[in-house]
Amino acid sequence: MTAAALASEGGASAGGFPLLTSCVVLPAVGALATALVSRRRPESSRLVATIFAVATAALTVAVLVAFESGEAGFQMVERATWIRDLDVSWHLGVDGISVFLVVLTGVLFPLAMLGAPPHHDDKPFHAWLLLLEAGCIGVFLALDLFLFFVMFEIVLVPMYFLISGWGYANRRYAAMKFFLYTAFGSAFMLVGLVATAVLHARGTGGDLTFDLVTIASDQGAIAPVTARWLFLAFAIAFAIKVPLFPVHTWLPDAHTEAPTAGSVILAGVMLKLGTYGFLRFGLYLFPEASAYFAPLLVTLGVIGILYGAVVATMQKDLKRLVAYSSVAHLGFIALGTFSLTTQGLQGSVLQMVNHGISTGALFLLVGMIYERRHTRQIAELRGLQKAAPVMAGVFTVVMLSSIGLPGLNGFVGEFLILLGSFLTRRWWAVVGAIGVILASLYLLWAYQRVFHGEPDEANAGFAEMRVREGLVMAPLVALIVFLGVYPKPVLDRIQPSVEALVAHVEDHSDYTEPPVATEGQRARSAAPAEEGGD
Amino acid sequence: MSFPATASAVLAVGDAVPFRSPALDWHALAPEAVLVATAVVVLLVDLFTAERNKWLASTLSGLGLLGALVPVITLAVDGNTRSLFGGAYVVDDFALVMKALFLVAGYVTILLSTDYIGEGDYWEGEYYLLVVSSVLGMTLMASARDLITIFVALELLSIPAYLLAGWRKRELTGNEAGMKYYLMGVFASAVMLYGMSLVYGGTGTTVLAGIGRQVAGSFGATPVAALGIVFVLVGFGFKVSAVPFHNWAPDTYEGAPTPITAFLSVASKAAGFVAILQLIFVAFYGRDEVYGPMMWVLAALTMTVGNLIALRQTNVVRLFAYSSVAQAGFILAPLAVAGDSPAVADDAIRAVVSYLLIYTAMNLGAFAVILAVSRKTRSGELDSWGGLFEYAPGLTVLMTAFLFALAGIPPLGGWFAKFQVFKAVLGAGGASAYILAVVVAVNSVIALYYYANLARLMWFQSVPDGDRSPVRVPAAINLALALCVAFTVATGFFPGLVGHFGDAATDLVAVALRR
Amino acid sequence: MSAVTRFLAVSDFLRSYLTVGIFAGVAIALVAGILGLGSLIRPTRPQASKYVNYESGVDPVGVGWSQAEIRYYIFALLFVLFDVEAVFIFPWATRLEAYGTFGAVEMGIFIGILALGLLYAWRKGVLRWL
Repeated sequence: MTAAALASEGGASAGGFPLLTSCVVLPAVGALATALVSRRRPESSRLVATIFAVATAALTVAVLVAFESGEAGFQMVERATWIRDLDVSWHLGVDGISVFLVVLTGVLFPLAMLGAPPHHDDKPFHAWLLLLEAGCIGVFLALDLFLFFVMFEIVLVPMYFLISGWGYANRRYAAMKFFLYTAFGSAFMLVGLVATAVLHARGTGGDLTFDLVTIASDQGAIAPVTARWLFLAFAIAFAIKVPLFPVHTWLPDAHTEAPTAGSVILAGVMLKLGTYGFLRFGLYLFPEASAYFAPLLVTLGVIGILYGAVVATMQKDLKRLVAYSSVAHLGFIALGTFSLTTQGLQGSVLQMVNHGISTGALFLLVGMIYERRHTRQIAELRGLQKAAPVMAGVFTVVMLSSIGLPGLNGFVGEFLILLGSFLTRRWWAVVGAIGVILASLYLLWAYQRVFHGEPDEANAGFAEMRVREGLVMAPLVALIVFLGVYPKPVLDRIQPSVEALVAHVEDHSDYTEPPVATEGQRARSAAPAEEGGD
Repeated sequence: MSFPATASAVLAVGDAVPFRSPALDWHALAPEAVLVATAVVVLLVDLFTAERNKWLASTLSGLGLLGALVPVITLAVDGNTRSLFGGAYVVDDFALVMKALFLVAGYVTILLSTDYIGEGDYWEGEYYLLVVSSVLGMTLMASARDLITIFVALELLSIPAYLLAGWRKRELTGNEAGMKYYLMGVFASAVMLYGMSLVYGGTGTTVLAGIGRQVAGSFGATPVAALGIVFVLVGFGFKVSAVPFHNWAPDTYEGAPTPITAFLSVASKAAGFVAILQLIFVAFYGRDEVYGPMMWVLAALTMTVGNLIALRQTNVVRLFAYSSVAQAGFILAPLAVAGDSPAVADDAIRAVVSYLLIYTAMNLGAFAVILAVSRKTRSGELDSWGGLFEYAPGLTVLMTAFLFALAGIPPLGGWFAKFQVFKAVLGAGGASAYILAVVVAVNSVIALYYYANLARLMWFQSVPDGDRSPVRVPAAINLALALCVAFTVATGFFPGLVGHFGDAATDLVAVALRR
Repeated sequence: MSAVTRFLAVSDFLRSYLTVGIFAGVAIALVAGILGLGSLIRPTRPQASKYVNYESGVDPVGVGWSQAEIRYYIFALLFVLFDVEAVFIFPWATRLEAYGTFGAVEMGIFIGILALGLLYAWRKGVLRWL
């Protein structure tokens, strides 16, 4: 399959109804509607916000239903000119890479909203949350460099307010750190994307355009050396957002200090903006540069896996532990992405969804524990299993999914990533696999300290999971099990797009995928120790 | 025949040259004529009305500014470029766009002033007379294509501004504001005049187009030309408060009445940029190796120093003073690469004009909120902004919008301005342009810090004195806020709006390159 | 060509400045010479009363740094203003016929705006002495 297949805008169309646009606009309208509710009626603002969030979730599921598997190109493409002079358009489309991220966003927001309501100022909280959702979905759907940037930036402001308004003790520092780190990255991205468009126009001799598909298909227009610099400008923004190893330091602060709903969204959705960005604006836009920088990024990913795991082991704060586990998981996703193999990429995309579900669920659970005990210190919690067996059970499932136990969703993703990266970067994969072991170390150890043993008097009165909380956790647990047992429908939809993307990289660089990887389905069943390698 | 040649001939030999009265294009002069008439009427009305009817001055001057907008619009519809007085005064699309900007900014300033001046112990009639005179100077500046006309316009807009800056004459800070602004302004004028005299001495003409021809020719290569260009631009560097010529700005902004601070930080600054644009694109375009590096250094220094000092401010007006210094740096950036090629010149002027338009709306809006809030808190300290959301949610939301617009967060207007700057700078290419783009990028992040910090104070800090009584916002300020927020949001969503004006303004370059 | 002739040959422009320079040099030399000569040949007998400020033979009263009436300042300002404007009117008057109606209207506007200033001063009561 060639790049032409990737660029083709075929597939299912939603029969005239602008489904994707409504996915972006509806939450934004919801934010406005919530903001207009009288501030003396916090319940009704919560109700309005929930209705909009659920409706958006329904729309995203409708996107998934309308999505045709077996198609590699962008589907349901909608395009309207926005700024004529610059050829910036409202260009939305979904493919196998983005479709599940959109659904994940649609599902996680209502769950976060219901599972972790704020303690004060309901109205602005919900309004910001809905605005954040609009931005996140917009990022995943944007097919215009410019629109992507706009959405990428919109996301910042609501999250800043969520952290600094409803977070914990050290929220101001954390919020500002988050804001400045990310804004710093996006400043570079802005420079990079404007330069990309300008150089592309100069290279082709045509008019200026910001259309992602056009620029990505004219690969010859920008000199390879220049493209590497441009890739770096984008990579800085994405590396901060993911976050990759040396620029990850905002993450533990932001995740720990954010309110529970904020942490869920931050870990579940917003980190994916970076990894998704690497796929869409790294591999697709700059295939040659991606292949060139792959060793660097794979190395950073592996460092992240080990570093995140080691630091997570040392944490005394349960939430911080989960936050550092994200660094490790996202390292895996980077490893898979820059293995540049079909399996690795498939695993990465799947793992983005998995991480969103598992870590989102973990943050919800930690939030529930905090609500009851008003502490997150592992040392102060003990024997919760005795007091709350159901919660302990749910925690176990979620934790095991995060560790990557076979039969649960985390395993499928991690396995595919390791398989794919083993084909091209054997030793990195071997070192990265240590991270799986370390994950079981820190999570199981934490579980043991928190849930096992005899509860002391402070923990004896620990309340069992309520029905409402159970209803929030149920869909997440169901997804964890379903994706672990039967990932095929998901992988089938991811695969064509991913294969086309790898082919696109092959077409435009001297990288060739090892043959065993290209055999697709058959290779997956083959043992990784077989003929492979570089 | 060029203008000064005629003048000197007339002076030298009594009746050798028969005097021919210039053909006056009244349509082209109509905006200025309306403003002069407004100023006269306001003065007369002020002199012959009782104290309780002094509000008339504010209303009349507001109407006058809007009235002057009418001929601007008819001229724009007409679309012809009109050149008067031997090319010294040109009404083209660039001039019209800027005139409209000055008139609207002046109108918003009057809206902001109405209650502030009416309630305080101030002279009312004179205040509005001076605002109208200053706006007159600015509209004149937009059309001035001659060194002497530029200088006259500059003085006409500056002298009323010196007086207005010191309007709070019973307070020491007010005196300091007026005095500093006056001394620095006069010093800048002197430097500029020196530069102008060098340029005139070398070219023998004061008309910018004529200077442009000479600068592109043999005179341009002489060191005198370089010296003249640098001195003239340094003079306007003071006007736009570019670092290192910025040190009057914070004290003046703090001491001046807040509506005047808004006026100075927006309209007066824009007038300085208009002059710089005309000088660079019409007169000095051939010597980009002189003004290019100079603008590069000024832009980089201005935004960096402005931002870094803004980080440490505890007074909201001073914060905005330094932030407006930094914003001037962003506006200067495209000028550093303007000489690269005609296409880049187009982009640069588009960027500067769009930035000025959007910046005007954002900054005036922010000052409108500052005014409204300080009516209640009676304080300029940042701490007094704590918990604003609890008692003035509407103002908080508006201020947040203006702050993030200034920071360049989409989808509010500011991003398009920043984006245009990036496009112009990156379009030029080359190492120095890329470095400048990175400097701009890093600075927009630094700016985020203090904008976001103020936003956080408003939303989440507790009210410092526990006084949660609502803020009463006068109708005039409400109207000003509505205008500003409508423009800020509209340009964010439909940048074509401003882009259109930016495109229109590129005819300044067209004139420069046609010669 | 000797250095002197080459210097003198530079240009008319510089030579006219040379005249200014010579003139300035002579002036300085003359003043310095006369004052210097005076200090050499005159007798010196210092007395306290000789150091008192000279005020036309009357003994000075009070300190020198005293406030003047503010009205003097305003009057002086008005005088300077109108005096300077007169400078613009004189050259215009010499060519009045040539300028014709256009010139008359222009000057009418000029004087009209000046008169506004006077009107302002009058209404503000600046023209009254007490």
